[in-house]
Amino acid sequence: MSDTPTRDEDQLLPDGDPIEQPSEDTPARRYTDEQKYQVFNKEFMPHIDSMYNFAFRLTMDEDDANDLVQDTYLKAFRFISSFEQGTNAKAWLFRILKNSFINDYRKKSKEPAKVDYQDVETTYNSEDAESEHTVDLRAESVSDLIGDEVANALNALPVDFRTVIILCDIEGFTYEEMAKILDIPIGTVRSRLHRARNLLKEKLRDYASSMGYKEENEE
Amino acid sequence: MQTSLPSSSSSELKPEMKHNCSHQADCLKMIQLILDGEATEQQLAKLQANLESCKPCIEMYHLEKEVKELLTKRMEKRCCPEQLVATIKSRILSFS
Ligand SMILES: [Zn+2]
Repeated sequence: MSDTPTRDEDQLLPDGDPIEQPSEDTPARRYTDEQKYQVFNKEFMPHIDSMYNFAFRLTMDEDDANDLVQDTYLKAFRFISSFEQGTNAKAWLFRILKNSFINDYRKKSKEPAKVDYQDVETTYNSEDAESEHTVDLRAESVSDLIGDEVANALNALPVDFRTVIILCDIEGFTYEEMAKILDIPIGTVRSRLHRARNLLKEKLRDYASSMGYKEENEE
Repeated sequence: MQTSLPSSSSSELKPEMKHNCSHQADCLKMIQLILDGEATEQQLAKLQANLESCKPCIEMYHLEKEVKELLTKRMEKRCCPEQLVATIKSRILSFS
């Protein structure tokens, strides 16, 4: 029941090799050229700032973000017949961007994301580690942090954890939408988000304490 | 033990206020569901009750809310460069 959570959503592109061929059971919509441009301009283009922001937060590089957004939009246009008008265009686009990032960019990126991620997964995977783990931090300690410090803390997280926080807290996707974008079950969305936030709070605590807000870290 | 607890800022603690939460990890998960708009009515009611009676839950709630607001409000949103928008639009025009 949990094996292929996104398969039933034919408006979302098949994963893996991102969208080479729309699969045969995907009902291709026959848009005229004019309709294609209309869908593209009315449903896809309005999300371009969010897409760019997402790309930049993933790659942490302006040139890579440029390339990633451009590739994503060109793919979206080429496979526009597998997009059903009126469905969630933003989630559809984010999913293509995420797949392009994993397949084309993450490989050549200098970030050792895979290693980091597995490391962190094992550290936090045991039920014990997870349930015992609450970060000792107070709201007042972080309330004076500035945007750059928050961004740095976020950037310090392994990419899979960074991703769920961006999708949820910055872009406001629901868990269900995130599950489709990331091709993971909702339960995994929930637990990954939980872990991501614990890690983020640890980073924020480091910033807060380096600013002297924390009381007892001397000696 | 009182020293390890941060003193409450303004409001007087009710006499039945708990200073230790026995379900802290579960409460934290519930708090996140609520702030994400993913909680059930039942969970909402439970948090409501905890926020009246459990100090660790109150503090966790404020922290989670603050962290979420840092991300939503304080981080700079990068906008797509005009040039890229123009490039994309002209590239797709040459497609068909
Ligand atoms: Zn509690």
